[in-house]
Order: sequence, then C-alpha cells, then structure tokens
Amino acid sequence: MSDQTDVLQGTLDLLILRTIALEAMHGWAIAQRIQQISDDLLRVQQGSLYPALHRLEHQGWITAEWGASDNNRRARFYSLTKAGRKQVEAEVAKWERLSAGVNLVLKRT
Amino acid sequence: MRLWHILQSRLRSIVFHRRRESDLSEELQLHLDRETERLHATGLSREAARLQARRLFGGLEQIKEASRDARGTAAWDAIVRDTRHGLRRLVRDWRFTTAAVLILGIAIGATAAIFSVVNAVLFRKEAFADPDRLVNIYQNDPAGKPMIVTSYAAFMEMAEYEDIFASTMASSIPNPVRYLQDGAVKSAVAEFATASYLDVLGLRPSRGRWFGATEERSGAPIVAVLGHQAWTRLFHSDPSVLGRVIRMEGVAVTIIGIGPASHRGTLEVGLGTDFWLPITAVPAILGDLVPRDAPTIFAPLLVKARLRERVTVPQAQAAMDVLGRRLAAEHPEQFRNRGEFALGPGITVIPSADVRIHPQADVPFMALASLVLVIVGLVLAIACSNLATLLLVRGAARAMEVSVRLAMGATRRQLVRHLLTESLLLSLAGGIAGCLLAWWAMRALQAIELPFRVDLSLDYRVLAFAIALSLVTGVAFGLVPAFKATKIDLLPTLRDEGLQPIDHRRLTLKNALIVVQVAVSVLLLGGTSIFLQATASARALRVGYAVDGVAMLETDWRFAGYSESAARTANDNLRRRIEAIPGVEAAALMRGLPMASTGMSIVADSATGQQGSEVETAMLEAGPGFFDTLRIPLLYGRVFDARDRADSPRVAVITEAMARKYFGAVDAVGRRFRLQADPNSWTEVIGVVRDTGTRAFEDDILDPIRPTYYRSFTQSGAQATTVVARTSRDAASLVAAMQHELRAVDVTLPVITAKTMAQALAESQAAPAVAATFLAILAGLGLVLASIGLYAVVAFAVARRSREIGIRMALGARSQQVVTSIARGVAALIGVGTGIGLFFVVLLMLVLRASTGSADIGIGNLSVYRPTIDPLALLAIAAVTALVGVAAAFVPARRAARMHPLAALRHE
Repeated sequence: MSDQTDVLQGTLDLLILRTIALEAMHGWAIAQRIQQISDDLLRVQQGSLYPALHRLEHQGWITAEWGASDNNRRARFYSLTKAGRKQVEAEVAKWERLSAGVNLVLKRT
Repeated sequence: MRLWHILQSRLRSIVFHRRRESDLSEELQLHLDRETERLHATGLSREAARLQARRLFGGLEQIKEASRDARGTAAWDAIVRDTRHGLRRLVRDWRFTTAAVLILGIAIGATAAIFSVVNAVLFRKEAFADPDRLVNIYQNDPAGKPMIVTSYAAFMEMAEYEDIFASTMASSIPNPVRYLQDGAVKSAVAEFATASYLDVLGLRPSRGRWFGATEERSGAPIVAVLGHQAWTRLFHSDPSVLGRVIRMEGVAVTIIGIGPASHRGTLEVGLGTDFWLPITAVPAILGDLVPRDAPTIFAPLLVKARLRERVTVPQAQAAMDVLGRRLAAEHPEQFRNRGEFALGPGITVIPSADVRIHPQADVPFMALASLVLVIVGLVLAIACSNLATLLLVRGAARAMEVSVRLAMGATRRQLVRHLLTESLLLSLAGGIAGCLLAWWAMRALQAIELPFRVDLSLDYRVLAFAIALSLVTGVAFGLVPAFKATKIDLLPTLRDEGLQPIDHRRLTLKNALIVVQVAVSVLLLGGTSIFLQATASARALRVGYAVDGVAMLETDWRFAGYSESAARTANDNLRRRIEAIPGVEAAALMRGLPMASTGMSIVADSATGQQGSEVETAMLEAGPGFFDTLRIPLLYGRVFDARDRADSPRVAVITEAMARKYFGAVDAVGRRFRLQADPNSWTEVIGVVRDTGTRAFEDDILDPIRPTYYRSFTQSGAQATTVVARTSRDAASLVAAMQHELRAVDVTLPVITAKTMAQALAESQAAPAVAATFLAILAGLGLVLASIGLYAVVAFAVARRSREIGIRMALGARSQQVVTSIARGVAALIGVGTGIGLFFVVLLMLVLRASTGSADIGIGNLSVYRPTIDPLALLAIAAVTALVGVAAAFVPARRAARMHPLAALRHE
C-alpha cells in the first residue's frame, strides 16, 4: 500500500470527469474505478471525492440523478453535461501540457 | 448559460434545503455501506470492515460541511440556522420579546403617525416657478404688522404698479360653501380669486381653463374651476364634469376647468381648495355672511405678485410705502375702524418663500410644529432608551451563556452573528407592529372631523426612518452585550469572580428618563381628565330649552332657486303643514340650529344714553312661536309676532345674561344696540328670555353664560330655513313626517339637517369626548412605555444586584426585605415622576382657568373651557400611575425574591 500516491490537488476533478465520461456512476463506484484504472497506484481519500462532486455539479459540468444501484439501493448517479465534455478536453490538454513540462524539467536536470 | 445554471443550482439548494441535507446523508451512507461490504468480502469481520471504511472515508461531518460549502450555500444555511435559533430564544423569553416589540411598535407607529399628520398640515410646501420673484403683499394693522386681510380696493391700487409688478393676483382665504350634488347638499371649500391667479403662480390648469377677464366682471354668469383633488375625490375624475352646471349656495355655477394637480390652494394647508370662483362672485355666493365692516373689504384677501425683472423686494416695499400713505390720505374713513379689521397705513412686501401661512401666524404655527416634532423625538428617544435598557438587562443575564459557549469552542464571529440575528428579528417584529399601529392610528384619525380636511395618508419615508432608527438601536444595543460578553476573560466569569461595580451614571440617566415618562403619562392622563370634565359638564348643563319631542328640519330655498319673497311664502306654507301633523304642539322657523349661534360684535347704548364700547355676543335668528316651541320662558316684554316685518324697525329678544352684562339690568326692554360693523343697524330690545346653552360656531364646548340675542327671522334673509317643532309623540317619527311635508312643498328642496333635538345635542357635545378618547389612548400608550421602562430598569438593577441579594439572603434576610429594598427605589421613581406630572397638570388647569376667550389660532378649543381642579381626579391619576408602575416592577422584583441564595451567589 505504501507505493500508492495521493491524488494531486486539482487533478481530482480531471480524474472524476474522465471516469464518468463513459457512463453515469455513483460516488463509491467512481472511487473504485479511479483506483482500478490507475492499477492501484493512485489513492483517492474517499471522503474528499464528495465535495469535489458537489462542486463540479454546482459548476454545471456534471449532473446528478437518483437511480437504483446494482444492489437495488437508491444512489446518486453522476454524468457529464455538455459543458462538462468540453471541460474534460480542456482539463486533459492542460494536464498534458503540465506533465510534459514537468517531464522536460526532470529529463534536463 | 452557466451563470443561469449556478443560479438555478443555488436556488434549488436554498428552496429544497431539508431534502438536500437528507440526500447528502443518504449518498454518503451508501458509500460507507458499499465500502464496508467490499472490505468484509476481503475477509475482515463486519465490525472491523465498518471501522476501516470510516477511517478511509475521513470525518463525516467535515465532508458534509465541505460538500455544502462546495455549493456555495453555507452562508445561507448559517442564516437559516441562526434565524431558527433566534426565534426559539425569542419565543422562550416571551416576556422580554413582548416588551421589546411593544416599545418598538409604539415608537415607530406613534412617530410615523404624528409626523405624517404634522407634515400634511404644516410642512408640505409647493414649489413655484421662479420663486425668487414671487412676493406676498399685506396691508398692515395700526401696529404696523401684516394683517390677515387686504381690501379689494387696496389690491386694485397695488395692481396699478405695473412698473414694479409683472402680474398681481388676489385670492380669498378658503371659505366653506355648500353645493348640491346628486340631490344631496355637500360641503366644500371655495376660494375667490382673480383671473390672474394661476399666471402669477406660474401654473396651468390640468384640464379646461381658468376664468378670464370677462368672467371676472360683476354680473357675469358665475364659473368655477374645480381643484384637482376635489375632481378626483368628489367627482371621481369624471372628465365630463367640464361644462356641468352645479348649484352652489343656490346659485348656478358652471365648471370650466380643473386646477393643477400639484396646487392645493393659497394657504397650501390640508387637502386644499375644492372650487375657485371669480372674486366678483363673492356677494352672490357668500351673501350676507360677508363682513360689512368697511365698504371696501368684502372678503379677506391674500395678495401675491410677481416682481418685474431687475426689481428688488426693497424697491417694491418702497413703492408700497408710498401707496400706503396715499391710501391713508385719500380714504381716511377706512382707517377709522377699530377691532378685528382695523387698518394701519403701512403695507408689507415679503418674499413668498419666507411665508408659510401668514407672517403673523407662522411663528406660533411653527412653534406648534416644532413642539410636536420635539414630542415625537422624545417618544422615539424614550422608546429607544427603554429598548437599550432591556437589551442590556438581557445581555447581562446572558453573560454566563456566552461564556459557556465560548468555552465550548464557538467563535466570536459566530456569537456576534447569532446575537445580531436575534436583534434583527426583534427589530423586524417591532417594525411590523409599528406599521400596524401607524396604520390603525391613521384610520382612527381619519374618523375625526377636523376644521379643515387634511390629506391623512401615512408618510412612508417617515415610517422607514422610524424603522431604520429602531433597527439601528436594536442592532447597536443588541451587539454591545455581544462584544462586551465576548471580551470577557473566560475564567473569572465562569468562576463568577467578576463583581462589576454598578454604573451609577448610566443608572441615573435611566432613572431620569423613567421619571420623565411617568410625568408625561400623568400629564396626558390629566389632559384626558380635563376633557372628560368638559364632556361631563356639557352633559350636565341645563340646556334651557325643551329637548324631548323636539325635531328639526333644515333646508335652503336657494338650492331650489327661490327668491327671498318666494321663500317667505313657501316658509309659511311649510310651517302650517308641519303644524298640521298630528301630535305637533308648536312649530317655528329659525335659521341654523338652536345650539349653533354666530359670534357678533355689538355696541350697546349705555344707561346715560351714550354709546358704549364694542362687546362680543352670540346671535340666533328666530321667528314667531320659537320661544313657545322650545319652551324658553319670557321674563320681560314680548316675543316676536306678526308686528315684526321685514320693513318694520329692527327688533331683538335678548337673554338674561346679555341684559345683565351689557345693559346692567335684567329688564332691558326698550334699550338699543347696534352691530359694530354697521352704524345704521340700531336694534330695539323687545323682550328678555331665560338663558339657554348656546354653542358658538368657533367653540366646541357649550358655554352657558355666553350673552346671546335673538334677531327676528322675518327681518333677515328667509332662504336658509330650519323648522323646529315639538310633538307630544315620538320625536324621531316627527322627523320623518317633517321630511315628508318638505317633499310635498317642493320635491327639489335639499334636506340639510333632519334630526331630533336629542341627537343634535349629543353631536354638539361630541368634540370633547373625541378629544378625551384620543388623549386617553395617548396616555395609555405613554403608560405602557413607562411601565416597560420601569420593568427594564428594575430588571437591570436586580440583575446587577443579584450577588448582593444572594449574600443578603444567605445572611438571613427574608425575601420580603429584598423586595422592600427594591420597592423603595421604584416608589421613589414613580413618586417623583407622578409629582412632576401632577404639578404640570395643575399648572395647565390654572393657565386654562386664567385664560380669557379662545386662542386666536384655533389650535385647541380647550382654551374656552375653564376646568375646576378636582382633587379626586388627581388622586385617581396618581393611583393609576402608581398601580401600573408597581405592577411593572413587581415581575423582576419577585424573581429576585424567589432567587435561591446559592443560585444568586453562584450565578453572576
């Protein structure tokens, strides 16, 4: 577990947006998915996911709807809005610029 | 688009606050449950899985708070929370809440209502175009002061100065007139003005036109311009009113225009003028009501002029000085008059902007207005001070609570926000109470008949001001304890070692305010008692004439177009018909009503045959049979009969009081007097009758000793007529029968008055009763304010002294002794306040007793009543005040007495 990295401040939004780009998901599932896809390298402090979700919803990038989860309990399913899709592209581009920049710095020093 | 979304999201979260909270809990719970299941599946025990899930999740409440914050609604949630909490506290401390809301309500309501009235009557002043060049011109009295009246002849001479004045206008002061509308006689206010009236003021009629020079000529058909206010109020803004012919005082008048909406009339007082008529219509409309003092004065005129360009006020004054001297030289007879309309040679020019109503009336008027405003200010100040005391008491009582909350980790900001919310809630409730009270007060005031009609609508700016002021007071004094409390060093307060010294200075100021409040309440109660006394004495008065079975019917033949001689014949016809009604024992004609005499200045012959000086009397006009109908006993001589005709020498029947006062003997038959205004009006006294309670128009209170004379109705104008009749049966059914007879004579005749004597008497006595009620309400409000103030001060003292009380009780003092020590202080406050109040009440009574006649500016008709100093009433006032005060102080005092010594020692 010690080789896990805490999610960088500000990148959680990007991860959430990317995760729910394919299908609507509820909070716990999003947390699980992020961990799975990152091959357990990234760790989301589970609680911190929710303020982020509510903030994104408030900003209009994602929208939430109540639906039945796989074990038939009521769950809030989050999905991307139109504005959210644009935002994903912008965030991805931003991230790529940032990581490319960081990589360059790392290689040259 | 996004902005809209955010707005929507915020709105939704505000509106669905409760659901959002449960949604959030459910969402987070689901996560925890799923995580627990997942961990349980990996082999952990259920309990261990649950704990691990919680650990991984982090602080539930913090996450919730952060999620709320993410929506940007945290501030709103806090407000909702604080409001709820504040409301709970206010409901729990309902005594405090009631007192504070009452104080605020009275302060706001009274201030707004009083100021609205004063503003409506005195301060609303119209802005005219180019006001610097508008001047008022007055003829002076012999002392050189501007008079109320200017003669028409003098005005004509002033208007000649065309090199000084670009234009000149004159208008009469407002006159009461009656006119016929939809078959009913209605009262209105008319001004008689020159054709130049609006031009001088720089105004335009809002519809139709103003009268021109041809319509101003004597003998031209009479036209009228309707005041804009009257048009909307009396004619419901009906545009077809232009060209309509109405009957005013029996004369046909054509409406040709509607005045400017902004203009209320020459005096700019009250609702303003209903009709403007050409100045030449005065004799036709006002008839013999016009004073006949001097041939040239036929209506009290107010003159305004517009100065020519580059003409200064001193230049105009110089020109008018010359004119004044010339008039005095050319018409010496005009300046020989004495009394009310005595003229002096001077003429005064004053810029219109410097005059409110009249130069002579402005000083007392403004003094009155300022007095009212001072009273309003005082009420507000007292109310705010009481509120401040209450809040301080509460603050002191809550110091402990605040300390505990601080110790529990509440931030100072949270505490301040909390107390602020509470204060705002309180102020809001007080504001609502104030609005209700003000609204109610205005409705009550509208029901009272005033000598002039006033636009009694609530002034919302004043209401807003009063609310704002109480809001500031509430917040300021609500926060003082908050800041004070939060600054307190925690430990000493918790250990309760902070024994604060009593702030003597503040307490003294508070005591002084309480004394003032008690004194004012006592004074108001005293005023109430004076009016109650007046009412009672008016009721108890020996009226001096028959009341039972007497009915009256007043009409005016002019409204049906009768000439004087036609009216005489018709009158006789009407009287015979009424005499023939079964049960009627006697009937007679008169003018006006028996209790409504007109004031007259007369000159009586003296015993030596020489002319005496001018004296005041009251006059009634009565026809044959009058004294028999009203059962007024004849003492000497004879009453009116067929010998007294319009062309025979003038005769009068006088009362005992007049005979004794002005002729020196009760048997004054054969003596003579004349009207001061008319040297050719010598009248012979043919009889003396017993005194009756007559009421003069200008007084509201019966004055039984007023010297009165009766003029022969057959020797005066016969058109305005009242038939009085006495029946052996029911007076109310006689009223109906008389109206029936009136319609039989001429169906177009208006009924002006139709009532029994009992009704008429009750109405004539209503004014002091209304005044008494009004003052009683004020006194009640004053007492409420004073008792809340007392309550607050005593509570304050108890809170401050609870430690002392505790020590005393621990040392063996009984609760009774504690109460006594508090009661002593309260008694001193009430005693001093009551004493000062009673002193002023007695002073007021003494001043009223010493005053002679009625005041010149008809502010209070109280001045015609001379009250007796009734010790029982004064005692009752003192008792009521003391009772209310003690009751107010009792509540907190009892709390102190019931305090357990230990609790008192430990708690603060």
